Amino acid sequence: MDWEFISNLLLASVRMATPLIFLALAELYSQRAGLVHIGLEGLAAIGSLVGFLVSLITGSPLLGVAAGAAVGILVNMIYAYATINLCAEQIVYGMAINIFAPALASFIYRVYFGAGSELVQVALMRSLAAILGVTPQSFLLKLLLDQPPMVYLAYALVLFTAVYFNRTKSGLNFKAVGEYPKASATLGINVIGVKYAASVICGALAGIGGAYLTTCYATTYTDGNVAGRGFIALAAVIFGRWSAGGVLLACLFFGFCDALQIRLQVGSYGIPYQFFQMIPYIATVVVLALIGMKKAGPKGVGKPYLREER
Amino acid sequence: MKKLFALLLTMAMVLSLAACGGKTEAPADDDKTPSTETEKPADSGKTYKVAMICDSSISDGGWGMACYNAMMDAAEKHGWETTYSDSIDQSAYYDNIVSYCDLGYDLIYAPGNQYTDAVLQAAEEYPDVAFALLNGADSTPAEAVNGNVTSLLPNATQIGWIAGALAGLMTESNTIAFIGGMELDTTKGKYEGYKEAAAYVGAQEGKEVKTLDIVYSNSFSASDKGIEFAKAMMDQGADVFFGDASAVDSGARQAIDEVNAAAGSVKVYDIAQPSDSLGQNECIICSQVTDNSGLVGLSMEAVENGTFGGETIYGTLQNGVLSAGAISELVPAEIAEKYQGYLSQMADDSFMK
Repeated sequence: MDWEFISNLLLASVRMATPLIFLALAELYSQRAGLVHIGLEGLAAIGSLVGFLVSLITGSPLLGVAAGAAVGILVNMIYAYATINLCAEQIVYGMAINIFAPALASFIYRVYFGAGSELVQVALMRSLAAILGVTPQSFLLKLLLDQPPMVYLAYALVLFTAVYFNRTKSGLNFKAVGEYPKASATLGINVIGVKYAASVICGALAGIGGAYLTTCYATTYTDGNVAGRGFIALAAVIFGRWSAGGVLLACLFFGFCDALQIRLQVGSYGIPYQFFQMIPYIATVVVLALIGMKKAGPKGVGKPYLREER
Repeated sequence: MKKLFALLLTMAMVLSLAACGGKTEAPADDDKTPSTETEKPADSGKTYKVAMICDSSISDGGWGMACYNAMMDAAEKHGWETTYSDSIDQSAYYDNIVSYCDLGYDLIYAPGNQYTDAVLQAAEEYPDVAFALLNGADSTPAEAVNGNVTSLLPNATQIGWIAGALAGLMTESNTIAFIGGMELDTTKGKYEGYKEAAAYVGAQEGKEVKTLDIVYSNSFSASDKGIEFAKAMMDQGADVFFGDASAVDSGARQAIDEVNAAAGSVKVYDIAQPSDSLGQNECIICSQVTDNSGLVGLSMEAVENGTFGGETIYGTLQNGVLSAGAISELVPAEIAEKYQGYLSQMADDSFMK
C-alpha cells in the first residue's frame, strides 16, 4: 500500500462523500426542527432526474443544481403539509415520498426520452482547477482545487450549519423547536414557521444532493442511481450525533469505507469480493457500538406538534 | 382540505404505479404482411404478446437497452405486441412476471441468469405461458416441471474471447480489466474467456498479459461505482476494459474518457457489449455484439407453432448470434487485420488449438 494508493483513496473518499454531505445536512435541518425524514432517497431521486434534464436542456449544470433544489422543495412540501399541518405520521409520509418520487422521476424520464432511447449524456460541472486553467499535480492541490464548486459549497454549508446552530439566536430557536416545541411556542417562536423553513431547507439540500450525482459526478441518469445514499445519510446523522461536524465526519467515514472496499476489490487477488463489500457495514456497527448512545437526538423528533394540545 | 389532500395523494400513488408498470406497445406496423411463412402466427386471429422484465434500465446504453431492442426487433418481425418493466428490484422479479401471466401474455422474456428462480416458480404456476430465459443455464429447462421454459444461451466463453483477443492485441501496459455487475455464471464465463483469450493472443505477440481480478459492483445501475472501479483499475495499470455491468460500464467509460482527455490522447480503451456501441464514447474501440433478437425470434416462432419449451437455444459465433462490431480507427490496420484472423479462428473452432 503505497502513497499513490492512499492519496487516490482519499480523493475517491471526498468524491463519494460529497452527495452524502448534502443529504445528511438535509436530514439534520429536518430533525433539528423535530421532523424525522426517511424520504431523502426519494427527494434525491427526483432532484437527480430534474438536475439532469435541466442541465441537458440548458447546457448549464449550475441551473441543473438549482432546478434540483427547486423540485426537492416542491416535493417535500407534500411531506411538510402532511406532517406539520395534518400531524400525520412522519415515518409513513417519508416512506410515501420514497415510493412516489423515484417513480415520478422514472415516469418523467420515459415521457421525455421515450422507450428504448440511446444513452443520453450531459457535460459535467467543471472543476475549480479547470475554471482557473491550471492542472494540479500534487495530492494537496488535487484535493483543494480539482473539485467541482459544489464540493466547496458542501463544506461551506457544514461550517455555516455548525455556526448557525451553536452561535446564533435564530439557530438556537431552531433547535429549541426540535427539542420542545410547546415551550418554544411560549417563548414566542413561530414553531410552524420553523418547521416549514426546515422542510424547505431539507428539500433543497436533498434535491441538490441528487442533482450533484448527474451534474458533477456521472454524465448519465439511470433509475436507482441514488443507490441507498438517502438511507446512509440518515445513518450519518445518527452516527454524527446530530451535529454538523459529526455529520461531516460520518459522511467522510462512509465515503472512505466505500472507496476502500472498491480499491481493495481491485487488488484482492483471490480474496472473495463479498469480504470487502462488508467493510462499510462492519465499520458502522463497530463505530456505533464504540460511540454508544450518550448523546441522543432532539427530544421532539418524530412527534406531531398540536398547538391546542395540553 | 384533508379530503383534497387525500385525493392528491391517491393520484400520486396511481402515478407511481403507472411509472413502475412499463409500457405496452402494439406491433410497429399492424398492416404489414409477414414476408415469410414462419413469420405468420399459426392462429391468424390471435395477436401474440410478449412481456420483458429487466432489473436495469432499458436506456442504460448497455445490456438493458440491447435486450429491449432485441425484443422490439423480434416482435416487429413476428407481429407481436410488447410490454416491459425495467429497473425492478430483485424482490419484485416474481411479482412482475406473474402480473404479466395474469394479463394473458403468451411469452415472458427474462434477460438474465438472475431471474431463474422467479421464472421457474412462475412457470410451475402458469403452465400455459412460455418463459424465455436469456443467459439461462443449460439445466434450467429440465427443471421446469411443465416444460414451458427455454434457455437462450449465448456462449459466454466466446463472448469473452471476442473481447479478450482485441484486448490482448491492444494493451500496451499488458494489464487489462473486467468489471462485473453481479456474480452470475455467465459473467464469470465471460471473464474467464476474456482472460484466457487475452493471455493467448498476448503470448502470440510476445507479451505477458495480466487480467486484474474480476470486481463486482453488485448493481447494474450504479454508474458512480463504474467510475470508481475504472479509476482504481487504471491506477493498477489497466489500459483495456471490458464489462458485463450495464450502466456501471457507462460510468467506467466516463472515467476512461476523462483520463484520456487529461492525457491529451486516447491511450486507455474500452470494449463494449452486447450491441455495437462504437461512437458512444471516445474510448470504445470495438463491441462484442450478441444478436439476441434472433434468439427471441426463435422463441416466438416456437410459441406460435406450439413447440416451445424444454430446450436450450445456443448463440455462438458459428451460428451468427455472436460477432464483433465495427472497429474504431484507434485500432491500427495491422492489429485490426490480426484481430480478424483470430475471429476467423474462433468461428472455425481452431482458436487456441
